[in-house]
Amino acid sequence: MRRLLAFIARWPTERALRVACWIGLLALALMIAGVVLGTPLAVVASMSVAQGLGVLACLLFGVSIAADGAARRGGGK
Amino acid sequence: MGSVGTPIGAAAVLTALAAASLLIHHIVVRPKLAGTTRLKLLLGLAVLPFIAAVTTTASGMQRTTEREFCGSCHVMETHLTDLVDPTSLSLAARHSRNPMMGPHACYTCHADYGMLGYPMTKLKGMSHVYYYYLGGYRNWDLRRFHAEVRVAKPFPNANCKQCHSGTLSSFSNVREHLGMQEELESNRVSCASAGCHGVAHRFSKRPEEL
Ligand code: HEC
Ligand code: HEC
Repeated sequence: MRRLLAFIARWPTERALRVACWIGLLALALMIAGVVLGTPLAVVASMSVAQGLGVLACLLFGVSIAADGAARRGGGK
Repeated sequence: MGSVGTPIGAAAVLTALAAASLLIHHIVVRPKLAGTTRLKLLLGLAVLPFIAAVTTTASGMQRTTEREFCGSCHVMETHLTDLVDPTSLSLAARHSRNPMMGPHACYTCHADYGMLGYPMTKLKGMSHVYYYYLGGYRNWDLRRFHAEVRVAKPFPNANCKQCHSGTLSSFSNVREHLGMQEELESNRVSCASAGCHGVAHRFSKRPEEL
């Protein structure tokens, strides 16, 4: 538990969110490419790699919001 | 030549673009992490991408049943040209002229039916993409492909019977069908074989296979 708190306290929220945005953009670009191009590799990538990246971006977002919330609560005391 | 023109494809692209604009805004403007910023990020990183992923997958599943998709790797070109040739008499071509299944002719014949047919067909299709790009077929010429590549497992008669139930008199009045019930049931004789309805793709066979 203490380790988790330490991890969250050191979490670089702003930077992590920007990284999440870039990863999210890459995922969305792959999805759009799959639908627009419709070629085998693009379609396969849009249903696999793109979704993995999307989940990663979403996880980064979740951790960042949690870390931010924890930091605010900690700072308010 | 993709699926942007279909409703589901358009929905996928529009939600993805909406999410992307929120993300670009965040990267460029670098706003403070206030309530509205969080809400925008929730939309741009979770809600909209989720919708985009679902619609992209639906559109991709649809796309992978189209005959142009199947014909887009060069080793499948002749299969597609024969199929769409209005003068071709091959069994495959004769199954591609009605508007209901014609545009998806490869898939409707080659998809295995049954409960797990749909996902298993898609998974096996993935292995074809793998063989093509990493297994070397990409560098094969058509002559070698036609000479060496055959169906991985005998084409199941059950696939034909998905449409041709075999219960009407036009089927059961045929003497050959009656005499071969057992062989047809057990797949020992294929409906699409020499002497019966002929192979589906004639051009890819050696003369002794026809
Ligand atoms: C998705 C449904 C479907 C499947 C699967 C299917 N058929 Fe057909 N078949 C049809 C339809 C529909 C027609 C009539 C096509 C037309 O009139 O344009 C037809 C026509 C035929 C004909 C008559 C062709 C002619 O020239 O008169 C034969 C023979 C035939 N099918 C055999 C087969 C065999 C063998 C298989 C399996 C390899 C098969 N079919 C799989 C739907 C199907
Ligand atoms: C009438 C149903 C039918 C249709 C439509 C059909 N196939 Fe086939 N396919 C078969 C059967 C049956 C075989 C087994 C070999 C044969 O009969 O030629 C086969 C074999 C194959 C093979 C193995 C190599 C070979 O030529 O034997 C490939 C690859 C293939 N089909 C691709 C396609 C593609 C791509 C399309 C669409 C452009 C398509 N098929 C449409 C029934 C069909």
